[in-house]
Amino acid sequence: MKNPFLDFQSVPCRKKEIPLERIVRARKEIMDRLSEGYLRLVEEEVKDLVWLVEHSHVVRTYSAAVSAIQDLQYDQDDIEEFCAELDNANAFPYMISGPAGIYLSALINNAAEEHILLRLSEYERTFHFLGYRLPEGKTLVLQGNLGDFIGAGLCGGRLMVEGTAGNWCGAGMTGGEILVTGYTGQKTGEWMRGGEIHVDGPIGGFGRARFGGKIYQRGKLVVPHESE
Amino acid sequence: MIEEKRNNDLRKVVWELYAYIQDNLYLNRPDMQIKGREFNSALLMSLLTGLCEGKELIIGEPGLGKTTSAEYVCALLYRFPLGTIWGSEVSGHPEQTEEKIIGRPDLGKLNKGEEVVVWSHFALLPVKIVDEINRLPETKQSMILDGVDRGNWEYLNAAIINEEYCLFATANYQDRGTNTIVAPLIDRFDVMVESKHPGANLAYFIGGHGSNGVRLRSEELEAEFHSVLSENIPYPVRMKRLDELCDRFGEWLEAQEGIRTLSVADRREIRSSKRSLPFDLDFNAFLRFVVSELSFCHHFGQKRSNEACDAGCHFTGYLCNAVRNCVSNRFPISARNFSQALAWLLGDEEVDLEHLKAVLPFTLAHRTQWKEEVVAQREKEQRSDPLEIYMAKQAVKEMHRRYMEQAGEVKNALAVACRIVEGESMRPVEGDHPIYWEIRRDLGEEVTEV
Amino acid sequence: MSRDLDEILKQVWPRVRKKHLFPELPNPEMGGGESSVGLDIRAKKIFISREFVSEMSPALDTEKVIEGLLDHAVSHYLSCPWDFATHLKLYAKAKDVLKNKDMALKATDYFMDVVADTHCVSRKDTPIPKIYGSAKKGGALDEAIHALYQRIWGLDLGVKGYEEISRKLSRIPYLDRNTWQESIRRFSKAVKFLLEMEEDLGGTDGQSPMGSHSLQQYSSQELEEGLKDLALEVGTPYEFKKIVQDFEDEILQATQAGGEAMGLGPGQGLDADTIYYMKLAENYLLPIRKLPMEKSGSLYPHHHTPWEVGKPYQEIDPWTSFGKIMPGITQTWQRFEGEVFGKGEGTPDCIILIDSSGSMTDPKQHLSHAVLGAGCASDAYLRNDAQVAVYNFSDARSGGQKILSYSRSRKMIYRTLCHYFGGGTRLLVEKIDGLQTDKVPDIFLITDMQITNLENLIQYFNDCKNRVTAVHIGDNKHVKNFRSAMALRKNVEIYAVEKKEDIPRIVLGKVKDYLYSPGS
Repeated sequence: MKNPFLDFQSVPCRKKEIPLERIVRARKEIMDRLSEGYLRLVEEEVKDLVWLVEHSHVVRTYSAAVSAIQDLQYDQDDIEEFCAELDNANAFPYMISGPAGIYLSALINNAAEEHILLRLSEYERTFHFLGYRLPEGKTLVLQGNLGDFIGAGLCGGRLMVEGTAGNWCGAGMTGGEILVTGYTGQKTGEWMRGGEIHVDGPIGGFGRARFGGKIYQRGKLVVPHESE
Repeated sequence: MIEEKRNNDLRKVVWELYAYIQDNLYLNRPDMQIKGREFNSALLMSLLTGLCEGKELIIGEPGLGKTTSAEYVCALLYRFPLGTIWGSEVSGHPEQTEEKIIGRPDLGKLNKGEEVVVWSHFALLPVKIVDEINRLPETKQSMILDGVDRGNWEYLNAAIINEEYCLFATANYQDRGTNTIVAPLIDRFDVMVESKHPGANLAYFIGGHGSNGVRLRSEELEAEFHSVLSENIPYPVRMKRLDELCDRFGEWLEAQEGIRTLSVADRREIRSSKRSLPFDLDFNAFLRFVVSELSFCHHFGQKRSNEACDAGCHFTGYLCNAVRNCVSNRFPISARNFSQALAWLLGDEEVDLEHLKAVLPFTLAHRTQWKEEVVAQREKEQRSDPLEIYMAKQAVKEMHRRYMEQAGEVKNALAVACRIVEGESMRPVEGDHPIYWEIRRDLGEEVTEV
Repeated sequence: MSRDLDEILKQVWPRVRKKHLFPELPNPEMGGGESSVGLDIRAKKIFISREFVSEMSPALDTEKVIEGLLDHAVSHYLSCPWDFATHLKLYAKAKDVLKNKDMALKATDYFMDVVADTHCVSRKDTPIPKIYGSAKKGGALDEAIHALYQRIWGLDLGVKGYEEISRKLSRIPYLDRNTWQESIRRFSKAVKFLLEMEEDLGGTDGQSPMGSHSLQQYSSQELEEGLKDLALEVGTPYEFKKIVQDFEDEILQATQAGGEAMGLGPGQGLDADTIYYMKLAENYLLPIRKLPMEKSGSLYPHHHTPWEVGKPYQEIDPWTSFGKIMPGITQTWQRFEGEVFGKGEGTPDCIILIDSSGSMTDPKQHLSHAVLGAGCASDAYLRNDAQVAVYNFSDARSGGQKILSYSRSRKMIYRTLCHYFGGGTRLLVEKIDGLQTDKVPDIFLITDMQITNLENLIQYFNDCKNRVTAVHIGDNKHVKNFRSAMALRKNVEIYAVEKKEDIPRIVLGKVKDYLYSPGS
């Protein structure tokens, strides 16, 4: 058959590429993989679109999240953009807050950077479980008003919340530091075993079952109380 | 070098002719700009039609110079006195017959039982003018189809083939006395232009001294032309004698009016150097791009005038969704031919996108059947062209803009396709525009998903 | 010097046009203007600042400066914003994030610059980066954008710092037109703090060296087309108004010539609601009626066919047969019944009765299909040279009515249609009667039928000769009454609409029946 394209034989096939195209391509690849990992996690861990906050369940979800992101090269910009994707109703058909927060925490804990800042103040959705198991040597700054279980299971990291945190802030933390500039909700420090929580605003209530650690309000130690 | 000089000289003659007609015979305003030069589209297209043996349909209000502009161009480009041209014109009316258009039996011979055809001047002359073609009933339009297409005229058992010819047909806008021009015939026209009103100030001069074409008449020569045309001699001999007369008329024009004109050899030379002008890659890619938009249908495989595409088709933004018919194979031929002629006239070394862009609306206007709803959107818009030409101009603008945006990708897709056909293992470039889909089809891919 | 610049521009422009594949733009001109800004585009014409070019000249060859500025301007035309509707939509997204007109304008300008320049740099050889490298930087945001260019073009433009912001901005897919809406949202979010900082420091006056993008760059035809596209794309008149009202002055100024079509007029503000429905209805235009063809009833000799032995003699044409009866020579006339143009019957005028009571959709807040349907009908009559009268009613007794006598002013008709009373529903049939003429106009009634004095209307329709199309939304006992009362009237047709979106389709269908079917 006649080659109807022969006139274009001399046109070089490779076109000029600027760094933008590489950056965008790389970013898209990472975002696709992050999304894929998240959707797999949701499929595996969330049955009937219900996810119960139960210690063993949380642990299992976190492990699954960590294995989903293994070998993935990403940075804090990717994490921040993934937050935006989670916030965007079109990007994901359903966002279940618990696993989403745990997945984000797994990303944060396994990121190369030691200091991570996430601007979450303009998102419509509320993120829970951020800072879950934040390890020693990591600093996480969260801007905006957050949901429940912020800094849960914190193990040595430094979590700064420039905004408010919901209930069960610092639940089950074993070490490290949580600083909240706004208020925290009920059961702050429930099942706490070590570390410190500093709250600049009001505290809705303290967890009753505590096994260690300290809670400060406006610089003043409030838990354990001197009388305890 | 000599060739280039000769070419420039011929070009100069054509420019002189353009200027002479514009200044003296066909007074009209410029209405288009190409590479910084202003032109009157009707005059420019007529000139190109004459130069490249094309076929032009001239529309317009009665009395706005449709026929006369064609007559002037023919007289000066082909060296025929105006009287001879008038004698060869076919005028469209319902009673027109094959005998008046093509030829008739020689009655004297017929009575002696011999079958000899007397050819009409229309069939014999290389310049053919059909006045008010849309007043010819459709069956009679078909009668001139073959002749118009190939220069091939048949009557009884005799036939002649014109070696060189061009056709100008005029049409009024539709009124009580007009028929539609049959689709196969209209498609055979390379271009359609409108002969516009020149405006009050130029109109004031029309018909005044020196502007009525009397200068292009020589009664003596016209009589000689008539006698050669009426003689019963073999066609090639007759044409040779006509050429001699044409040259004499050319000399007469130069002596009387100081106008240089073109001989048969000159026209042949022009056509040959026009044909040798290469098309640049953007011309090539853009023409494919245009054809793809006007012929592609994802749903039915190609456009067909009896199949309407669905509402909500993915390709809604492209022209394939706005037109009813499929563009014919004659369209790219016209576009290439006229673009080359324009490039030659402008003295350019390559035929480029701007030549194509200038020519496209006139090659598309009569060939495109728009959907009713598309016409409804446009018909009341402010414009200076008749609706068909205006819509074609808008369509070309739209496609051109789309092309400018993705020219690199289109050329790359075509280059990749070339390599694939040559056996390289590559993936065809995917894109939204119909051209990418057409490329993939040519590469044998079953393209069904959107 | 100034003469030289004109000459240089004349030489450079054809080159730039060829490079960009001959865009449909008029010849550019050297102009005055500010020295800090290189370009001004008005109605697609590019004006280059002499001062800017002179100031840049020591650092960069004059030809290069002019070429770069032209590349920039042409790229805007070719890539972003592409058209007026896209420009407005980008602005709307930026405004959503930034909540401030000036800041949104500036963010939109910068976003469009990044897209256009990147488009050009990625595809053509252009001195644009050299201009950015040599031009004075406008402020923090301008520097940040220069840092972004450095990163995404891979060139050194001499900017230090702005690492984080440029890194974030560089992740946006500027060259992907399909994601521009999301991209400008991300872009605006990222530059918000810089815009706020500039605002705190005294406003957002600083601009890109290439200039800002006013709506004057569009021709009035582009503005009209853009508004039409925008009306189709935004969900509600409220959204349309929100976007358009920010540009009231610019649109009014740019469209002074086409005032009537735009629904504008001297001394009047921009009536965004009216324009919304006018533009939206333009997407549903019906073609202008053509004169009908009719059989003339008489046969006429149409064309010749060869005579064959056995065919009757009476149709033989002796003239073309040269007096011979001989197959192959003899020809017969084939007769056809002639077709002539029928008498183009005048289009009747039209009365539109539109209900704007509280139970109907407020056309200013949400898309009212009743108003759109009424608009489509009036457009069809107007396009066919008829006139339209409007009776907009709510509680007519207490002043809730608006009457427009026969008019061909589209603007006035739409204004009357768009008026919303929102009260009870009671109409005065004498007012409708007042609109009757000898030409017997067609009547379109669009209502939800919860008319308290429906019996008066029924009585009126029973007596009138007009062709009446009643489109009602929903079903209730009034509807049943109306239907049973009108059951025998052939000139009254009633359409029940469950989905309001069907109104324009039904109305147009009826108009087609009235005006376009044979014998209409």
